[in-house]
Amino acid sequence: MKKLSKLALVLAAVTALGAVSAEAKTFKVWWYEPADGALGIAWQAALDSFKKSHPDVDVKFELKTFDQINQAGSMILNSSEAPDVLEYNKGNGTAGLAASQGLLQAMDDEYKARGWDKLVPESALALGRYDENGVFGTGPLVGMPNYGEFVSVFYNEDMLKARGLEVPKTFEEFETVLGKFAAEGITPIAEAANDYPAQHLMYMLALKNADANWISNFEGLKAPLDTAPFVAAGKTIQDWVAKGYISKDSTGMTADDMTNQFMAGKSPFVVGGTWLSTSYGNIKTFHAGQFLFPGQQYAPGSTGNMWVVPANAQNKDLAYDFIGITLSSDIQTLMGNKGGLPIAADTAAITDPVGKLTTSLFKDLVARNGLGFYPDWPVAGFYNEVLQATQALVGGTATPEEFAARLKTFYDEGLNK
Amino acid sequence: MTDTSVPAAPGPTDRNIPRGKRGALRWWVLAFLFAFLAFMLAPIFLALNNAIKTATDYATNGPLALPQSFTVEGLLGFWSYVDFTSKIWNSLLLSAAVALFGVILSLLNAYAIGVGRIRGGRATLVILLLGIMIPQESLVYPLYYLAKSSGLYDSLWAPIIIFTVLQSAFGTYLLSAVMTTFPHEILEAARVDGANRWQILWYVVTPILRPTLAVLATFFFIWTWNEFLIPLVLLVSNANQTVSVAMGALSGQYVSQPTITAAAALLGITPTIIFFLIFQRTLTKGVVVGAVK
Amino acid sequence: MAMQTTLRRRSSSAYWLYLFPGLFGFLIVVGIPFLMNIGVSFTSWRGIGMPKFVGLANYARLIADSAFWMSLEHTLFFVVAMAVVPTLISLLVASVLFDYISVRFGQGLSSFFRAGYYLPQILPISVAGVLWGWILNPHGVLNMILEATGLGGLVGNWLGDPDLAILSVGFVMVWLQIGYSLVVFMAGLARVDPSLYEASELDGAGFLQRFWYITIPMLKPEIFVIGLTTTIAALKVFAPVYVMTNGGPNNATLVPSFFSFYHFFSTVRVGYGAAVATAQTAITIVLAAVFLWVQSRQTEEGDHD
Repeated sequence: MKKLSKLALVLAAVTALGAVSAEAKTFKVWWYEPADGALGIAWQAALDSFKKSHPDVDVKFELKTFDQINQAGSMILNSSEAPDVLEYNKGNGTAGLAASQGLLQAMDDEYKARGWDKLVPESALALGRYDENGVFGTGPLVGMPNYGEFVSVFYNEDMLKARGLEVPKTFEEFETVLGKFAAEGITPIAEAANDYPAQHLMYMLALKNADANWISNFEGLKAPLDTAPFVAAGKTIQDWVAKGYISKDSTGMTADDMTNQFMAGKSPFVVGGTWLSTSYGNIKTFHAGQFLFPGQQYAPGSTGNMWVVPANAQNKDLAYDFIGITLSSDIQTLMGNKGGLPIAADTAAITDPVGKLTTSLFKDLVARNGLGFYPDWPVAGFYNEVLQATQALVGGTATPEEFAARLKTFYDEGLNK
Repeated sequence: MTDTSVPAAPGPTDRNIPRGKRGALRWWVLAFLFAFLAFMLAPIFLALNNAIKTATDYATNGPLALPQSFTVEGLLGFWSYVDFTSKIWNSLLLSAAVALFGVILSLLNAYAIGVGRIRGGRATLVILLLGIMIPQESLVYPLYYLAKSSGLYDSLWAPIIIFTVLQSAFGTYLLSAVMTTFPHEILEAARVDGANRWQILWYVVTPILRPTLAVLATFFFIWTWNEFLIPLVLLVSNANQTVSVAMGALSGQYVSQPTITAAAALLGITPTIIFFLIFQRTLTKGVVVGAVK
Repeated sequence: MAMQTTLRRRSSSAYWLYLFPGLFGFLIVVGIPFLMNIGVSFTSWRGIGMPKFVGLANYARLIADSAFWMSLEHTLFFVVAMAVVPTLISLLVASVLFDYISVRFGQGLSSFFRAGYYLPQILPISVAGVLWGWILNPHGVLNMILEATGLGGLVGNWLGDPDLAILSVGFVMVWLQIGYSLVVFMAGLARVDPSLYEASELDGAGFLQRFWYITIPMLKPEIFVIGLTTTIAALKVFAPVYVMTNGGPNNATLVPSFFSFYHFFSTVRVGYGAAVATAQTAITIVLAAVFLWVQSRQTEEGDHD
């Protein structure tokens, strides 16, 4: 008898617990973009809108750090502490690894059923799909992008105007302009080779000698590395260092140092990513413009970090609702107006000059199929290898051939793994 | 019972050396020490210099110019951005617990090895020292799986236990080295007076070692405060995170905000500086206590 | 005599009780995880999922990896920069503060200096990296000062030139480490009876003589502790390299811990990272054992004094 009543008590407790969890549905969402940036502002607005449309849901938001998701992301996904939806780093080493271990939910059905296919074309999903080895490009859709990024040239309009110089239209014109500044003793391009920017410039120059086939092979880890574009890029870099277009000192500079140099008006050009647009757009002492690297189809660029839904998330439907809101035209336009680069926005609706310029340049680049991705993506850990090899190239301690051979060794080893 | 300031009365020493020269020398030494101090503190001065600048001021004049503007926006912004109050609380809890438990554990270990002179004591010491010899990153994956299976994943207890053990390796080594050179007569005298082992540890050994224990606690506190990798991996939710992990919020993949970094640097070191200054007093007192023989 | 020995033995074994918590904690936090790490070093593993046994392949690869050998060479340099130089400097500074400043200017001033010199230790290393970047970059404070003082010829690309980068990182290590050994030495000096210094000063011993005949012998236990712990720290140095140079330029500042961290978390070749860490630990254990052996011989000699 006693036992029975005990059982009844336990049963009652279980039912009560069930009732509680059904009543208060919680929705956990994480991202790691700064709250005052275009992405942070837009996503916060998306979350507010989500709260309005889901008044009965208890929303738990946490602002994480890039380091935490980058280094411990797969460990978190592999535990019961993961949220319902989170921003995740694109690429084979992060999202690819998690996908290959079955930690991420495939979203192909939702992509069609919820009409996301009309907002974000299939061509923009390359980085959301990973095969069973975690290589991007094919396989189930585990990540949904909602913004983009690309590398272009920022310039100091005042410095160009003072010399009666025009924005260069071809590579040759660009070199001529660079030469004019160098002749005055000004280093025309602010650069940082002790950090990521130099490898973006290097890859930009490699893409000058690349075609769709090369990019697809290189990024898809399909064949031993064809180093010809890298050798050519290496030659141009060393030529530019010799002519004073880039300073050898940049081997000791970080991205911040580079930005300081450009903002102080000491160098008229920076080859940099759209993540710098907002701060350059707000420079008060001169007007900073932006143009696509002249004379070539491709530029480093891609869709940005994406939303992923952990395989063991509690409330996947809520997660899809939230992703849908971030893709809505209101949120996308807001992102553009804050100087960001929305993936599914109507350019005409954006009024902010920085956001409008960046978005229209991105449209041009996408229209000519010119997104060349990034140099460090194919193999996990390639980033540091490319950084160091490029640093040695700028510093003159490696020849263009040695530089390319170093990349090939690391790349081919990743291929054969 | 001598206070250290007693010998300050200049006296017989000056006999051999001309007074004037001696007087000049001490000012030279002092000047040199101040110059050395300026060098040691220069980077921290840079942090202060940039913490109170506006971002525009930083962008136009660079990190080296003196501030043309004054704002605490960076400081306040960082504070609310990372919910600094709760981070400070977590870090305090973690560091204080590790300082306390770590010192106790070190004291117990060292007592057995240094005073107890147990057999195999040196071998035990070498084994315990593995705690500081093994590179931390190699322990991260195993500790993650152990924490998960013990239910301590995303709990402050996991880093508390881990750092208590890791730091006590150093503490055991330092204390047992000091205890080995301990005057036997004092221990013998206590034994003759009928004190048992606990009483000797508590009433004889601990008081004499107080300055060293204070140093240990300071070290443990500060080292734990600045630990990054293990808290990053084991503490998932923001509510459990520490100050040093929150500092990571300053550098994104490609973005960083130098003035906010400087502001955060100041906020991040302030609690440890306060802690160190409190312990300065203990250290200073310790001098007199240590001199009592 | 015989009775005394038995008494001593019995009391000695009872001390094992005091070691129990320490050994238990060690087993859970260090022992088992490190055995797991050694196990992982024989596999190919990406941190999650099932490890695949590959035998000695990771070690074979390690022996053939020139980057690993290069990182070991740099370690020798960092032992000098983190163990030797800061220890010598702080021994001297500690004894100046204790035996000169606090005697002539008072205890307060000496404590003030100690606190000041210790501050670099408090600074989170990520922040120290940013600050030193401002100083050492080609347009940074150091070059500005050199130019302003007419030493323009000495201007260098401190972090970008492979020959200079390791010296610059080493220099920052010295800056970072001084406070640590200084505080330990000054705590050690607190145990010394000040009348010893007084008496020798009365006997006419100068500062250097007191330094050599009193300070150094008195601080022997601390010197050993500092020597070993800073050497161990140098063997596994990671953070300063990570925040200042990422092991570059051109691997000029690569160290074993950076190398293993890189494989644990960047290339996610956890098995290979574990092999690097295991090899590195083995080297450290051998060095530490030698060090402790020398120390115990020294202490025994000291006991006979």
